[in-house]
Amino acid sequence: MRESVIDVSALTRRFGASTALAEVSLSIPRGGVYGLVGANGAGKTTLIKHILGLLRAESGSVSVFGLDPVADPVGVLSRIGYLSEENDLPAWMRVEELIRYSRAFYPAWDDAYAEELRQTFALDPAAKIRNLSKGQKARAGLLIALAYRPELLVLDEPSSGLDPIVRRDILGAVIRTIADEGRTVLFSSHLLEEVEQVADHVTMISRGRIALSAPLTVMKESHRCLTVRFAEPRLQPPAVAGVLRWDGGGQDWMAVCGDGADELRTAVRGWGARIVAERTPSLDEVFVARAGT
Amino acid sequence: MRSPAAAIAWELGRRHRWGLIAVTATLFVVSTIKLLIFGTEQRVNFDNELSFALVVVVPLSATFLYFLAVFSFGLSGALAARQSIYPTRMFTLPVTAAALAGWPMLYGTLAMAALWFATRLLAVWPSDVEVPLMWPALLAASLLAWMQAFTWMSYPLPGLRVIVSVLWLTVFDAVVMIALEAKASEGVMLILLAPHVPLAYLVARRAVRRARRGDVPDWRGIFARRGETAQVRPDFSSPARAQAWFEWRRYGWSLPAMVGIVVPFELALRFIFSETPVIVFEILAGVLLTPPFMAAFVAATVGRSTPFLVTRPLTSASLTAAKMKVTMLSTVIAWVPVMVAIPLALKLSGASPIVNEWMRNLVDVFGMPRAVVIVLLGFAALLASTWKQLVQSLYISMSGREWLLKASVFLPLALLAIAFPLGYWVLRSKVVMAALWNSFSWILALLVCFKLSAAAWIAMRLRDRRLFSDRTLILGAAAWDVAVFALFGLFRWLVPGILFHNYFLALVAILAIPLARLSAAPLALAWNRHR
Repeated sequence: MRESVIDVSALTRRFGASTALAEVSLSIPRGGVYGLVGANGAGKTTLIKHILGLLRAESGSVSVFGLDPVADPVGVLSRIGYLSEENDLPAWMRVEELIRYSRAFYPAWDDAYAEELRQTFALDPAAKIRNLSKGQKARAGLLIALAYRPELLVLDEPSSGLDPIVRRDILGAVIRTIADEGRTVLFSSHLLEEVEQVADHVTMISRGRIALSAPLTVMKESHRCLTVRFAEPRLQPPAVAGVLRWDGGGQDWMAVCGDGADELRTAVRGWGARIVAERTPSLDEVFVARAGT
Repeated sequence: MRSPAAAIAWELGRRHRWGLIAVTATLFVVSTIKLLIFGTEQRVNFDNELSFALVVVVPLSATFLYFLAVFSFGLSGALAARQSIYPTRMFTLPVTAAALAGWPMLYGTLAMAALWFATRLLAVWPSDVEVPLMWPALLAASLLAWMQAFTWMSYPLPGLRVIVSVLWLTVFDAVVMIALEAKASEGVMLILLAPHVPLAYLVARRAVRRARRGDVPDWRGIFARRGETAQVRPDFSSPARAQAWFEWRRYGWSLPAMVGIVVPFELALRFIFSETPVIVFEILAGVLLTPPFMAAFVAATVGRSTPFLVTRPLTSASLTAAKMKVTMLSTVIAWVPVMVAIPLALKLSGASPIVNEWMRNLVDVFGMPRAVVIVLLGFAALLASTWKQLVQSLYISMSGREWLLKASVFLPLALLAIAFPLGYWVLRSKVVMAALWNSFSWILALLVCFKLSAAAWIAMRLRDRRLFSDRTLILGAAAWDVAVFALFGLFRWLVPGILFHNYFLALVAILAIPLARLSAAPLALAWNRHR
């Protein structure tokens, strides 16, 4: 069994009357890319903030590299590379100053790699952060998150609102990090096709609870997407246990099933309808079926 | 809510509701005091100007400053920035620039007028003062309108907004003061002030229009250092040094720059009044108090923490230590121009004989060694006070709790509204004054108990949260003890034993050396970092 990088156990967090996280338990072993997906307000960022030690566990526990991120922020943060959607870099700094400042905190800072990333991202060392475009800021944030080859790379909605070229850079960085043996990436994103491209394991959060957590291949294979053609047009699809979501109208309805694909097949025969197409759903379809209900 | 004007008014009111409630409560307290203590019709003779200032001027000024900040949107952005402080989200509203500038200006004008009329009606006024009818309302509205115009304007250089605003408002104030000195009538004052709100509106409308289309002039290129990036700079030898550099770049020059701007203007007055000892003394005191006074404004920037900052792999204690070190350096640098400018200005203005005379008197009374120590102690106290102003509120600002920040502003203001009339009453009552003086040592002892209890609680929390090791805590406590004993020893040597008991001097020394609030700063940051 692989050593855990992140261990979250029965973590609950409330903000006033609303529960952001409810009894969340999660264990992320070393190596691989973990996709964290969920609707807005599902609790992804709250979970990531607990992992970084920015939120204290109200109940339950969080352990990163076997350390408590609140009690030992230096021990944890010095081994994590973090890039968030907000990307709150100091606007007054120049790119060169940002690099010089950041390297002081990380003994493992790799100058050659930092320079390579700077050139790849076409960042002018004399440019002030405030004058960079949103994409350039994301690249600068990515540079300082990667240049010390962190053991754990945490990306919280890093490509939100960015153009495809910057998104490609971020995905490229994820892939390069995976190439470094033993490194782990925790990748939270709304862009599920991106998660699908790089994630080995996907955790879906819905309303503060983990709805599903499984290796990507297992998750996709455990779901089926069936298109049912009814004899007569229908206004509403029939209710069948195991069908997570129906989409369509008229005679043709598409069902996304979890474990209930066999039940649906049986039911279809009983209705005098037929299955005209069957395939493995995309992560997007699984997510909508699980979180959109 | 069907009109933009109502929506803008609602937003202003809703956003600052607690402040407006505090203002209303202050006026309520002032009017209650007037009704209960002084009676509605009775006129009061104030013994001195200070009493009048305490009862009327202080609450009025505090509210005036608050209104300046609220209606100029001054709390929404950095005053030193080049860009307009007008909230950019409002630029996308489907209203004209005239409406965007006009409505907040109109509401500000009405608020200032209401403030004056409420104060005129409700506050306690001395019987020998002829309370003006309207012009102070127009003066307050004019000052606010100009402040709004300057705040909403974009500037070609950072910091220019502060300089332009200070200079223009000083000139404006000077004109008003000259008119008052010349015993100008109500009518003359109104004529003098009437054009300002419309003029400021025209400037503000143009400023908003330019800011809305993103028109920000830029002269920075003229002053930019050529080839700056070509030079190779040494790496930071440690994370602590990198953090200190970061903190220095954020606000290190703020205090020296502010002091550097204000002190020459203050010292310039010496050339006008070099023959009048009282005014020379007042100017000198004003100059010496400028750094601690300015430090109180810079303090808000020192404590600000961002998500970027809190995710640095440094302990909360190290992050706080970087702030403490940088503020010390900033304090020393801020005092350099003061220490250079004072002797220079004394020499050039011909006022040095007056100061030399004071020094001779001091030596005559205390003797040379004690006089030197008193001067050095006074200077050290001013230096320490400047630094203390910068860091003593870190435990609030670094907590990152908006409610705590607001409470720290409004609670003292609310307490002032109660404390000043109470103080006025105490000062007038010989019995109460005697009782207070007799129990003064006990009051100090209580304060010491409170300070040490708070410090002990903070030390326990620092230890529990592992923010400081036992060794650091013991060393810190020992250093504080040494400082207290040293100050106590100095007091004993300076102050004749017949004047004060040793225990009294010890209590003063304990209260003078900062402990609890400074120790609470890393705790507040940890509270902010790990919510």
